[in-house]
Amino acid sequence: MTTSTEPYVLNIGPQHPSTHGVFRLRVVMDGEKIKDLDMIVGYLHRSMEKLAEERTFTQNIPFTDRADYLAAMTGNLGLAIAVERLAGVEVPERAEYLRVIFSELQRIASHAMANGTLISDAGAWQTPLLYMFREREKILDLFEMTCGARLTTNYMRIGGVAFDPPLEFWPALQELVDELPDRIDEYHELLVSNEVFLARTRGVGVISPEDAINASLTGPALRGSGIPWDLRKADPYSVYDRMDFDVVVGKSGDVYDRFMVRMSELYQSVKIIKQAISQIPSGAHKTDIPLALRPDEGEIYSRIESPRGEIGFFLVSDGGPSPYRFHLRAPSLINLSLLNELGRDAALSDAIVTLGSLDIVVGEIDR
Amino acid sequence: MDSPGIVIAFYMMAGLVLGSGTLVFLARNLLHALAFLVISFLSMAGLFLTLSADFIAMAQILIYAGSISVLMVFAVMLTPLASRDNGNTIYVLPGLLAAGGIATFVGFLALDTSWSGPATDFTTTIDLIGNLLLGKYVLAFEIASVLLLFALVGAIMLVQTSSSDHEEGEGG
Amino acid sequence: MSSDTRPATPMSRQIAEHRSLLDRALGLPKFILVVLSVALIGFVICQILIGYLVVSGQLDGKWYDVRDFGNAMVSLTDAINRSQMDSRIVSTLTYLIPALLGATGIVSVVGGWLLIGPWAERRLLAKFQIRQGPNRTGPFGLLQSLADALKLMQKEIIIPRGADRFLYFVPPIAVFIPAILGWAPIPWSPKMSYADLDVGVLFVIAISSLGVLAVFMAGWASNNHYSLLGAMRTIAMMISYEIPISVSLLAVVLLTGSTKLSEIVMWQSEQGVWLIMLIPFAALAFLFASTAEINRTPNDIGEAESEIVAGFYTEYSGMKAGLFMAVELGNAILVGALMSTFFLGGYTFFGLETWIPGYLILATKIGLVYFLFVWIRATLPRFRLDQLMGFAWKFLIPVSIVLMFLTAIESSILVRWDVPSFLSLGLIALVNITAAVGLTFVWMRVLFRDNDLSAPPTPILTRKMGGLQAAKVLRG
Repeated sequence: MTTSTEPYVLNIGPQHPSTHGVFRLRVVMDGEKIKDLDMIVGYLHRSMEKLAEERTFTQNIPFTDRADYLAAMTGNLGLAIAVERLAGVEVPERAEYLRVIFSELQRIASHAMANGTLISDAGAWQTPLLYMFREREKILDLFEMTCGARLTTNYMRIGGVAFDPPLEFWPALQELVDELPDRIDEYHELLVSNEVFLARTRGVGVISPEDAINASLTGPALRGSGIPWDLRKADPYSVYDRMDFDVVVGKSGDVYDRFMVRMSELYQSVKIIKQAISQIPSGAHKTDIPLALRPDEGEIYSRIESPRGEIGFFLVSDGGPSPYRFHLRAPSLINLSLLNELGRDAALSDAIVTLGSLDIVVGEIDR
Repeated sequence: MDSPGIVIAFYMMAGLVLGSGTLVFLARNLLHALAFLVISFLSMAGLFLTLSADFIAMAQILIYAGSISVLMVFAVMLTPLASRDNGNTIYVLPGLLAAGGIATFVGFLALDTSWSGPATDFTTTIDLIGNLLLGKYVLAFEIASVLLLFALVGAIMLVQTSSSDHEEGEGG
Repeated sequence: MSSDTRPATPMSRQIAEHRSLLDRALGLPKFILVVLSVALIGFVICQILIGYLVVSGQLDGKWYDVRDFGNAMVSLTDAINRSQMDSRIVSTLTYLIPALLGATGIVSVVGGWLLIGPWAERRLLAKFQIRQGPNRTGPFGLLQSLADALKLMQKEIIIPRGADRFLYFVPPIAVFIPAILGWAPIPWSPKMSYADLDVGVLFVIAISSLGVLAVFMAGWASNNHYSLLGAMRTIAMMISYEIPISVSLLAVVLLTGSTKLSEIVMWQSEQGVWLIMLIPFAALAFLFASTAEINRTPNDIGEAESEIVAGFYTEYSGMKAGLFMAVELGNAILVGALMSTFFLGGYTFFGLETWIPGYLILATKIGLVYFLFVWIRATLPRFRLDQLMGFAWKFLIPVSIVLMFLTAIESSILVRWDVPSFLSLGLIALVNITAAVGLTFVWMRVLFRDNDLSAPPTPILTRKMGGLQAAKVLRG
């Protein structure tokens, strides 16, 4: 009496309560096991790259806000650094330190959200997520204080940052940085020995180091598999070479390791912010550049470390005010390429948890 | 059994049993037939209650409506889509003949037996049944439980041999 | 610096000015506060007075306790019996009137809870999650559940194409039936239970097995793979966890010697002990298995929101879906009532029930068990289906059966030899607790001996960048 089962097709998304955005997974399932996984993207395509060809470089900065909408500061920073390298613009010291502070703040906010949504994907009814949102709310308050927006900040400019933070920013930042390590310890304790969480995440979605490198993974997904590669140390930009911090590397490449890498990177970000606060000089917060900057003809590929991985900008300039070609290398899209192999022969719940651990943002996948 | 409440209840339950029983074989869709069968099980439990057999009524609900119907549901799920039609088959005529024969036989039996009078007041049956099962009829009770054990082990064995052919079973 | 006078951003200002629910309740107009406190004090004084009258024996005969509505019923039926009407009408009325009044009572309890329950649960969950719950619709958000119900009622009913008409409309009703029927045998006061069946325990088990079919019909009739997947998961879970429930209740029946719920409560009150102190493992097994029966976290894999939308009621819209959600809530307090009756002493509280009406005590216990449910829901992530099944079949059922055997031996000793009850009950409690703890540890060790449940490794901190070679060096 063999029960012959027929595989059937299950569509997950594009409207889905899992907080990953409009993203469609077409899963061929046999019972509770996945036989094949197909990702269909494009539901959030806004033709950013084409529209960028009509706008000046400064006008393109809001696009990067909306590409990776959970890490707007690093997106802005990536484009600003790319154009500065292309056009040879100098950035004042104070602006560099401000950039570092805001990038690290954004990293904390983004990792808190990524970890929180991972746990709520595992079913914890958003309680840990909302605990992590406590800190994220304070960070977003800081952003609002400085540039007026919480999410799509549009803060970096070519040659510096848009505004100098107001006077009330610094005490608030100091307070936050002082209490953050204790809070992170709280979350750490809550989750590290929770058996249900361990049972859901250990040994699930294992990526071996060879697979990770072959699939061009970057960011915490790569570091979770044991490869020590972080662009802030490997290819330093801004003033990261003056900062003293460690790079967190996991051991076995499962979901738990990626989760712990993000959790530990929170501590490192706090360390960097503290150093930046103590080292920041006074001065100008941006250099004056012409309204429509015309870089020389040429092309450049420049990359920085966003919370999701390596975000790269390929710019081709033809001497005019707008780029001839603007391409964003989205880390989420490249990180996703392994999902097919990871999902094979796994249960659906495990595939969902693995997807959560890869930390994708559909805005930058589709641009 | 002269209380009008009990009489009304009896007629309601009997009507439900007969009605849903008829609908079982009149329904086109196999799952509708299953649903009607469950209703007839529940109404049978109601009939037992009018005879103040409370333990039997609860056992009827628990075993028939609770477990056997789920078993039948799973059996229906395992059949291929084409044979889930409850409609005309070649078994209609022999089925009607057999049913008619059984009905006549049981009817004669029921009319011929001299039944004892109905219970006038309500006595709890669970103590009596428990004592009988573990006292006078313990052999039958034990044989029934051993039979159930055989069925359980047999079902597990059947699943085991088929899953050793292909990969480890579902779930995971 | 302006930071020490006022918070900087609008949101932090809002957070700083927020007052807790208690503050806002105490800030109500003085008149309302005075009326409410007078009513509360008056209520308490009345109860104490009646309790005093009861205890000092001044209320003789049937009206010994006016707060027990069962006494009113008994008087009513006696009055009808003594009247000079036709015997058929008399027998009909003596059954019909208590039945109708009791049914109204049960429906009003369940209905009242369905009005307040969602509000309470959402505010409590919010408290666990450092946020406020609903606080806008009506004072303190109390009208939230009503607003939700009205919203659901006026929604368009979208029936999926290919859905089986008959099997689509029945489940919302069919799943509500066990949630209401289960209230029948529960005693609220010494004489107050709707239908004090002699086979009450068996009735409870039978009713809990009726929900399975409704879930299947809902999943099947939706003509949707998600729903079917959710329904199959739910059914597998529900029928697996019926067995630990039955075995736990069997332990209860063994100790108390009766399947009648009122006698179980009486036993607990006479022996002066709650069954949770005597057979704790059975109580906890009952609690855990009940969360599986009613599809609550951590066992709500059947409606895992982040995976398959809403499981077996994905395709239901409007009040049909509302009924499914309502049933989850109604089942939760039903399980609370059952847990209280079987293991927490029901309407008794070591003699307090002569002063305070039994139904208030029972209501408090139901509230406590429900609070426990919400607490567990806010804290734990959900288990995967195979983990759930493994836990039920490999751990709960064998250990429950072994401990039930132990309880059987103990209860037969208790009956056969006349040991003074304090000593025997203490011994039983001690033996049961040690056996439960010991067996749990041993069994877990045996079951999970190839699982590595030790603390996971902490990540490595490094400063040298590299690729595969550096990774190998790091790993040693």
